[in-house]
Amino acid sequence: MPETRLLLKHAEDPALRTLAGYRGYGGYASLEKAYKEMEADEVLKELEDSGLRGRGGAGFAMGKKASFLPRGEMDKYLCCNADESEPGAFKDRELMQRNPHQLIEGIAIAALAAGAGHAFIFIRGEYDSQADVLDAAVAEAYEAGYLGEGIRGTRRDLELVVHRGAGAYICGEETALLDALEGKRGNPRLKPPFPAVQGLYGGPTLINNVETLSNVPHIVRNGAEWFKGFGTEQSPGTKVVSVSGCVRRPGNYEVELGIPTRELIMDLAGGPAEGREVKAFYPGGSSSPVLRAEEGLDLPYSFEAMAEAGSMLGSGSIIVADDSVSIPHMALRTARFYHHESCGKCTPCREGTNWTVKMLERVVRGEATPMDLDIVASVQENIIGHCLCVLGDSMAMPVGAMVRKFREEFEEAIAAASEGAPAVAERIPVVQGAPETLGAST
Amino acid sequence: MSGKEITLIVDGREVVATEGEMLHDAARKGDVEIPVFCYEPKLGDPVGACRMCLVEIEGIPKLQTSCSTPVRDGMVVHTRTDQVKQAQSAVVEFLLVNHPLDCPVCDKGGECPLQDISYGWGPEKSRFTDDKRHFQKPVELSPLVAIDRERCILCYRCVRFSQEVAEDEQLQLLERGDRTFVGTFDDRPYVAPFHGNITDLCPVGALTSYTYRFRARPWDIEQAGSVCTLCPSQCNVSFTVRDERVKRVIARDNAEVDDGWLCDRGRYGFEMFDAPERVRGPRLRGGAEATWEEAVAKAAAALKAGGEQAAAIVGDASNEEGYLVQHIMREALGSPHVDSRRSRGPGREALARLAQPEISAKVRDIDAAGTILVVGTDPLHSSPILDLRIRKAIRRNGAKLVVATEAPTALDGGAEAVTRFVPGNATAFLSGLAEAPPDVLRNAESVVVIWGERIGREQGAVEALLDVASALNLASTEGSGLLEVPELANARGLREAGCLPDAGPGLTGSVLSTSEVTNTGTSGMGTEEIRAALEARELKTLLLFGVDPLRDFPDTEAWKNAIVKAEHVVCFSTFDNATTALADVVFPLETHAEKDGTVTHPDGRLQRVRPAAARPGDIRPNWGVLAEISLALGHDIGISSQPSAFKALTEAVPFYAGITDADIAGRGIRWQETPAGANVPEVDEAPGVGSSKHSSGAPAERFEDPTPGALTLSTYRDLWAGPITELNPPLRFLQPQQRVEVSVSDAEQLGLKSGDSVRVARGGKSLGALVSVRERVPEGVCLMVEGVAEGNANAMLNGAPVSVRIEKDAAP
Repeated sequence: MPETRLLLKHAEDPALRTLAGYRGYGGYASLEKAYKEMEADEVLKELEDSGLRGRGGAGFAMGKKASFLPRGEMDKYLCCNADESEPGAFKDRELMQRNPHQLIEGIAIAALAAGAGHAFIFIRGEYDSQADVLDAAVAEAYEAGYLGEGIRGTRRDLELVVHRGAGAYICGEETALLDALEGKRGNPRLKPPFPAVQGLYGGPTLINNVETLSNVPHIVRNGAEWFKGFGTEQSPGTKVVSVSGCVRRPGNYEVELGIPTRELIMDLAGGPAEGREVKAFYPGGSSSPVLRAEEGLDLPYSFEAMAEAGSMLGSGSIIVADDSVSIPHMALRTARFYHHESCGKCTPCREGTNWTVKMLERVVRGEATPMDLDIVASVQENIIGHCLCVLGDSMAMPVGAMVRKFREEFEEAIAAASEGAPAVAERIPVVQGAPETLGAST
Repeated sequence: MSGKEITLIVDGREVVATEGEMLHDAARKGDVEIPVFCYEPKLGDPVGACRMCLVEIEGIPKLQTSCSTPVRDGMVVHTRTDQVKQAQSAVVEFLLVNHPLDCPVCDKGGECPLQDISYGWGPEKSRFTDDKRHFQKPVELSPLVAIDRERCILCYRCVRFSQEVAEDEQLQLLERGDRTFVGTFDDRPYVAPFHGNITDLCPVGALTSYTYRFRARPWDIEQAGSVCTLCPSQCNVSFTVRDERVKRVIARDNAEVDDGWLCDRGRYGFEMFDAPERVRGPRLRGGAEATWEEAVAKAAAALKAGGEQAAAIVGDASNEEGYLVQHIMREALGSPHVDSRRSRGPGREALARLAQPEISAKVRDIDAAGTILVVGTDPLHSSPILDLRIRKAIRRNGAKLVVATEAPTALDGGAEAVTRFVPGNATAFLSGLAEAPPDVLRNAESVVVIWGERIGREQGAVEALLDVASALNLASTEGSGLLEVPELANARGLREAGCLPDAGPGLTGSVLSTSEVTNTGTSGMGTEEIRAALEARELKTLLLFGVDPLRDFPDTEAWKNAIVKAEHVVCFSTFDNATTALADVVFPLETHAEKDGTVTHPDGRLQRVRPAAARPGDIRPNWGVLAEISLALGHDIGISSQPSAFKALTEAVPFYAGITDADIAGRGIRWQETPAGANVPEVDEAPGVGSSKHSSGAPAERFEDPTPGALTLSTYRDLWAGPITELNPPLRFLQPQQRVEVSVSDAEQLGLKSGDSVRVARGGKSLGALVSVRERVPEGVCLMVEGVAEGNANAMLNGAPVSVRIEKDAAP
């Protein structure tokens, strides 16, 4: 099945990132429509009706989230979460780099629906060139009256600021993002209160992912019904999927939600190298429980199917491990990432990630016993559901799944390493979302 | 909080709680303890960081932190299910992953929440076998507090205190994940006036005071609840006593007084109890030790020789001590010359009007105040704990703050409006305020006025303040009122006990039972008149009780002269000082760790100071010494114990009538809230705005010095000025150096820059000081500190506003 490009349509045209280029393809017509022909409530209703689910990880219905913001005169905020930092995810990067105005238009429309007068794009600090692209696009949008005071001759205002993060994965957690934006240490806040009620500077705040907001102009232009024509009933629309790891054509592929996962990995991304087979894959970024090839490849790629299989679609980032990959090393690498990024605020995550890394290091060094594997598994259980935010779970779920599903491989690794043999090749899938490259099928 | 009563079920028990209160607190009402580390309501909103208090709530799939879950009617909670036990045990196991478990050598051992919770809720043993993290330890977080980062469980309490209570924002969490540690920017020492509270807050042995490290173990100490009388805040404290010596001072939470915080003065100012400077027994002039009999006889003879020409000034004293001193003066000697102020002060009528319960605010009123007006005081220096209280009102409850002072205050940054008045112009300022109160005061739902006693040195200022109170209808507005920040810790109690020249116990007009003095107040001399009369040899004998005029009173030279000229000086003092050196008889005083007695908080709360430690040397209870002196004067007061002294006090002060020790108990009681409160002296109807013409005090004409180059001197008592930093070795590093603070424009005009060594001169007097140029100092004014050992600004004062010249030292 080929890609279905809505968000990445015309992405290969470098002119798309300029205002003129974007308008040339009909850009900002949705904004004009929303601001001039629609009431805020109508826009909100359209978004709710579309069933658009958040593309940042949790998959919460975007329109519903926007509807949680209280009505009335108060300072409300919209934050675009562009802190894409999860291993395996690089779709927002591409969306911002190639089509910044689509995002800006989406923000402007979503802000209208939510009644927000101030918007921010919180972009991860390492996305330097993407932030430059956004800065330029935002300047153009101000210039053309799509942002600022009295947007396109209406009496509506929107201020949009691009804020560069300082390099912490945790700031992608929505409340940590708010703290960081306020100039504080980026630590998650306790919920409730949810940001929709009390968010940035204490005001009601809508936080959405880049891809989610990039969908908004299309929904407003073509209507909710049109949008629901794509994807499945519970997962409408398309999804830009980052496929990486042991595949021949890593990259971003925009597909209708619900297509067989096999098509994404084997056809679009080209599958593993000659003579190799898929052993397992993360279906939704490094925080999703890994699926064995046999349990996952034939699942429809949708929120509901992945959840049913005990994993999740998450941000829609597939990392493929072929049969040359050492799962214990992959588990260690995963744990190290979360250990490094844990903010340290809550106990289970802070200490659990640290402990897990130490145990897995012993596993690959051959200094562990099978009993240690029980402890690794038990520690993951002790983390899940006990943390302040989902970062702890994001390690515990995949690591727990790997120990559970590949226990023999861990045991073999311990045995081999303890006998002095260079145990399993330290091969792990490397994320290769090559810059400037859409999926190779373009 | 709605205040609605609701019912929930915790572990099968029905618990009645207030809707919206946190589940952890509600459960406690049903005797269900849920373990916590990070939760501490005093620190503000819960953070849910430690995850220790996870519980199961029916209808919610995931476990919830009980510290952050508001209770609802009908909620069903389980705290001991397998799922909850597993989660809580897991959190303990996680906490101990990086904890060194060095309990045998840890000061916290035995009083450690981590120990207790590990025993109560943790697993039997840890499965962690890898290396723990290591830090250099212990390191100096400040000169007073050591930090052991390996013991730290990162509960956030200390950091939240620094950022959200004290607002000094010095403590931060640095790094992240399990590498996180508590520290300061650039490893600078954490020096802030309230920082010792973090040692109380720390639930492990990570933060310990150098003054207590390795000094005692919990099983060989006793805790003795008392009240700190180092300042008018009168915070409730608990003395940690080992072998009858105070080893530590910790907070004893009383929301009506201190909110459970202490300043570092109160916390670390205890080593002076055993200082070599302590007066340990009665002495005669020249330092010769005397027996008690000898000293009492000598003192009685001195007082008798003075007779009606004897005068007494009382300072650091309990209500009973104050009562006994004035009783001796009035009843045994027939002298009305008693005061408890360092300089001038308002007359009886104004004081009686201030004492009316309806215009009195209590400390708790600050919490809910719409607007707080701070006049003529910087609480940080004069009553530190109020500084925290005001910050809390602003931060948590959105109170608005207006600051009107001579000099910059620590609270300026959070104020809605800041005004400066020229020293000596408080009356004019307040009169103006009474005539046209700004909206922030007029439109506020309630107003608490926190005013410094110091303005009362000025004629008419207190009357003008009362006018402000009537203009703002404080008397008839719930939660509104005046709250004084006096200069002495027990100023209110001493005044109410009768240590005033024109009022006897209970602010009554008849001050001498032997004379026919009436309410018109043919009164005795106040402090300044006493000084003048001594100089003129119109008075013969001076009794000083807990005061050191040569350090604390304006015009040091004149005071020295007066004391030298007195025929007899009897001095009660805790420590040796310049004044005791001039006395004929010196009696030792008890400290607040040794004393038994009551004090009265500026908001009218009677509190009890209880003896915690042994009296060093040959020190006797002060009430007993006074009773003996009275007996030697041929006047039997009939006091044979502290309770009988207290009883005499409550019988003498009508609005203390019937208050018992049981009423005071551990938390104190405001006399306004007892039936006796109705006995407050009656006053005329509020005379109305503009009444501030008739009063004693300094001349009220606007003070301006026309001489070019002259600056008006404004002085203040720095938090750290005085014996506190001289007699407590751990606090010595905080001892302030005299400096003269000037505004930017005056500095430019006078060619001064920060750090310049100058002499500040008035008339023939001058003091050395270092220049400090500060933006917020008003033009035409310079600031200096009172009470420091070197260059005490009191030397420059004469009780009225003065102007000074700043002369640059010749280049060295």
